Amino acid sequence: MFEPCTDVVCSFWSILNQGPMTLTITLHTLIVLPMVWIYFDEKKKMERGDIPQE
Amino acid sequence: MDKKPSVWSSNRFWRRSATWVTGVSAVLLIFLTMDSMSQMTMGTAKDIENKVAKRIPSPVVINYKIDYQLNRKRGHEVPIIGGMDANGNSKYEEKEKFFGRDDYSEKEASELIHKGKLTIQAKNCMDCHTLLGNGAYYAPDLTKAWLDPTWNTLAAAYGGKEYAIAAFLQNPPAMAMHERKMPNLGITKDEAKAVVAYLKFMAAIDTNGFPRNFGKIKGAVDARK
Repeated sequence: MFEPCTDVVCSFWSILNQGPMTLTITLHTLIVLPMVWIYFDEKKKMERGDIPQE
Repeated sequence: MDKKPSVWSSNRFWRRSATWVTGVSAVLLIFLTMDSMSQMTMGTAKDIENKVAKRIPSPVVINYKIDYQLNRKRGHEVPIIGGMDANGNSKYEEKEKFFGRDDYSEKEASELIHKGKLTIQAKNCMDCHTLLGNGAYYAPDLTKAWLDPTWNTLAAAYGGKEYAIAAFLQNPPAMAMHERKMPNLGITKDEAKAVVAYLKFMAAIDTNGFPRNFGKIKGAVDARK
């Protein structure tokens, strides 16, 4: 199920790239989840009135 | 009227998101570039000795038999250097004489391939041909030209396919095999040998199955007849 190396020359990405799903999960973890956090953080600040009017 | 502020219309939210995505993408691209560099680094004679697979093998690969076999797991043909083991990987054992020798040192092989590269550049092969996909689309792609079955049919008459290719390069019109005839570019005997070395070396590069469908040429490989 888990391959140590999926490319001709082993590297960090060849360990990570077990298939399209592993890369999708990684990129979502890196990019989308923090954006969800940014959204709720901004919402919280807005509701508290921390943000000055632009 | 609802005065509740919306995050979606807030500049700050979009600015933070854009900064985050740009930053992560930049870091990701730097990592991917480093990964590509490791994939593109040429192997050494030691790697071949230790049977370590490299995308671009050491120039001493010209001492070995180069084949092209379908790898079911990867879904395309891969270069097989010096025979294939039970798992479909290169064995780096079976040698093949190249212009009468199979003991080129790394330095000798490297110099030969370099001369071949310079000749290919000086004679503007890419005006008509493509090499590793780069060049013009008038004449065939030369990436796997070494494995072209035509040379096997001529090998016996010339004492080996490297001699047949070298003879062709020195006077292509005399051995024309296509409507689009290659002109005589005044390639010398030494230059022809170097170009053939370059072609053999290039055939051993793992190009992820490029050019597509090359394996379907009858006789080119054993994979898809």
